[in-house]
Amino acid sequence: MTVINRSVQKKMKAGSFTLNRFGTGTQAAFHVLLALFSLMCIIPFIFVIIIAFSSEESIRQVGYSFTPVSWSTQAFTYTFRLGDALWRSYFNSFLITIVGTVLSVSLTVLYAYPLFRRDYRYRGFFNFLSFFTMIFGGGLVPTFVICKSVLGLSDNYAALIVPMLFSPFNVIIMRTFLQTTVPTELIEAATIDGSGEYSTLVRIVLPVVKPGIATIALLVSLAYWNEWFLSLLYLNKNMDIMPLQYLLMRMQRNADFLAKNSSMLGVDAAKAAAQLPSQSLKMALVVFIVIPIACAYPFFQRYVIAGLTIGSVKG
Amino acid sequence: MKKNLLSIILAVIAVIAIVFCFVFNGQKGDLEQKVKDLESQIETLKADAAKVAEDAAKAAEDAAKAAEEAAKAAEEEAARKAEEEAAKAAQELPTITIMFHGSNVSDDSAVLAKVNEYIADKVGAKLEVIWGTWGDFDEKAVNALTSVDKDVDIVFTCSWSADEYNSYAKKGYFLKLDDLIEQYGADLKAAIPESLMQAATIDGAEGKGIYAVNGFKDTATQNTWDVNVTLLNELGYTVDDLKAKGFFGWDEIFAKAKEVKGDSFYPFLVEPMVAERMVTNSIIVAGDAGSTNLLSLYLNPEDVSADGAYGNKLLNKFATDEYKAFANQMHKYYDAGYIDPALSVAETSNDARTNHQKDASYLIGTQSYAFGYEYSADVLARGAEIQFVPCTDPYVDTTASQGAMMAINSASEHPEEAFKFLALLNSDPVLMTLMNYGVEGIHYTLNDDGLVVFNADARATYSPWTNGVGNVTILPDTADEGKGFRESFKAYYAGAKGIPSLGFVFDNTPVENEMAALGNVAAQYALALDCGAVDPETELPAFLSALDAAGMQAYLDEANAQLEAYLAK
Repeated sequence: MTVINRSVQKKMKAGSFTLNRFGTGTQAAFHVLLALFSLMCIIPFIFVIIIAFSSEESIRQVGYSFTPVSWSTQAFTYTFRLGDALWRSYFNSFLITIVGTVLSVSLTVLYAYPLFRRDYRYRGFFNFLSFFTMIFGGGLVPTFVICKSVLGLSDNYAALIVPMLFSPFNVIIMRTFLQTTVPTELIEAATIDGSGEYSTLVRIVLPVVKPGIATIALLVSLAYWNEWFLSLLYLNKNMDIMPLQYLLMRMQRNADFLAKNSSMLGVDAAKAAAQLPSQSLKMALVVFIVIPIACAYPFFQRYVIAGLTIGSVKG
Repeated sequence: MKKNLLSIILAVIAVIAIVFCFVFNGQKGDLEQKVKDLESQIETLKADAAKVAEDAAKAAEDAAKAAEEAAKAAEEEAARKAEEEAAKAAQELPTITIMFHGSNVSDDSAVLAKVNEYIADKVGAKLEVIWGTWGDFDEKAVNALTSVDKDVDIVFTCSWSADEYNSYAKKGYFLKLDDLIEQYGADLKAAIPESLMQAATIDGAEGKGIYAVNGFKDTATQNTWDVNVTLLNELGYTVDDLKAKGFFGWDEIFAKAKEVKGDSFYPFLVEPMVAERMVTNSIIVAGDAGSTNLLSLYLNPEDVSADGAYGNKLLNKFATDEYKAFANQMHKYYDAGYIDPALSVAETSNDARTNHQKDASYLIGTQSYAFGYEYSADVLARGAEIQFVPCTDPYVDTTASQGAMMAINSASEHPEEAFKFLALLNSDPVLMTLMNYGVEGIHYTLNDDGLVVFNADARATYSPWTNGVGNVTILPDTADEGKGFRESFKAYYAGAKGIPSLGFVFDNTPVENEMAALGNVAAQYALALDCGAVDPETELPAFLSALDAAGMQAYLDEANAQLEAYLAK
């Protein structure tokens, strides 16, 4: 290996080895481009952290700034004093995300696998069934009525998990992934070796499509983690199960509402605005929200990248 | 056990049989005798086995019988229990659910426990509350009403929320209350002024009547200049100087403030839309396009109940000479650096204003005033002497008199209990204080003068929007407001005069499309013009022609036709 590598390196240095390789100029341009792009992604977050650590007076005087007049950890101490409400919603966010992701991924795989199998008789029908809901939805009010009155999804964890369990989009991704990575020969080979359907799925197919599952899991867990609209719809009385996103979203919506209606509300708007949490507190909550998902990302990423490079049948 | 016994017997028989075989093979002599003996033995063993089996079957039968009897008993027991429970449920109180607006409540357990204890006899129901916040109320209320949600009995409504009182009453989402008021509303009628009852009387789905209980709050509007007196005196002026110079002559004072406080100080802290109304004496027309009003009625600043300069006619507010003069002056102030640029951007306007107010970093501001605002905690916390200088007397218009109401969902299964609760809430000081201020000893204490002193920590977990709960005049005075506050509050609003077209609500459904288009145009221009951020010489004509193109004339004609019809009645 090392020998080959050295010879390749030599050739590269000499400039004679150009296959699968960009020129130095292009390479540099790509590096600059990608560096700029990652800066664009990172800088807003750094900005958020700086604002979270800025003092209120600083925000009042110079607004959001990379170089605040004075620093303060007030927002974080206040967040920690929020105590119960904060930790409870933090816990809720984790619970909803983990339970939701596990259930949703299992459901997606179990739905996508038969659709991928050519020998499944009702393939066309179930394909259509899931695909159809992508084009035609029931609309907000009917969905709300069904979920709340018929399914009893109101003021409970199920209300925050069940409506997002099944996404036809994810099923299609999973089905396509199965089609491209799992050859029919593999299934046939398993069958010949005496593997039953469940065993084939769990022991043969699943290990091969791990990257696909990781991709779906990433999409689903992000969706669950960032979800606040379901809480807005279905949480009325039991605010103890509110996720963190909704806590933040509520602050933001309150501020927006008061800004829009202040001329109608008069003194009430001014009084209510004085009660609203500070700007730095909002940013502190954003930090709280982003960190866990940022930590989870690298784990998923490993599989996602792996998915690009491996397959089950070589050659 | 019995099975084991049987197999043991069979095994024994087998063993005997084997032994017999050996014996048979070995000794043939006394075979017959032995066979006979063995046969008789087998016979007895068989009989034993049969007996055992019979016994077992009998035992099993007994057990089954016992089980059957037990099941029967259990069934009877369960039936009796269910009956008992049903009887209990019949006695148990129904639950009524109320949805408030603008609350900041994270822990209502102590309050609800007390409330439920208090209303059990008086209302005959249990209360549950959905604490709508500013941001999510509109969505929740509309969802609950349009999806005919029976779980919500009472819902907040008013002239500016998404479940707008007049239109939702017309669409049949609210229950007509006249009969209930007749039956249970004697106390309510005594507690709420007749004028507010009238303001709530509209043409709804079930004919003319009252579709919501109108809360008694700051029902008149009065716009004021919010003056930082400490700074004004520091600059060598008095409030009288301000009044004498008027809006068009404050250059000198602003220039001085800028000179003393430095270049980054913005003396003029306007809420642009309010400033426009204050200077031109225009007022909001109920039913006009949401947050950016297009129509104006003009007030007579000397006597608010008399006709204004244009009579009872609705005008395009941006096309008047008054507006032009106002916009020009604002532009002058803005150019000179007297106005914070953040105020001219919708997204930052409110935050910037709140921030400047918090540390009193302004000289003159605008405030739509409510009686007693100068005594409220957030004004006292500004750390400067603040005075609110009115432009006109307070006036009652449709918007303000439908500012906070409680309607009963027409899908409610307990309308009588719901109404009884509303009536009690608005007429009983104990219940109103409990709902609004919390529990004495937890959320507040009474000081030696009998005034309410809030416990800041507990109050932070329970602060409903005071005016959104109902009749605030039956609340006790707080220490901040001082003794006798509620009395003067009542007197102030009782003395407020109504505008000539009080009660008129523009029904915008015939011109909905125009309104949406006009609203978009106005959102693009109005704030910047009101704030002076753009030059009216060029922008105002562009704005007006854009409005005309979007159908301003049709909108105006429809509104005026409706107003004429209303006044003719």
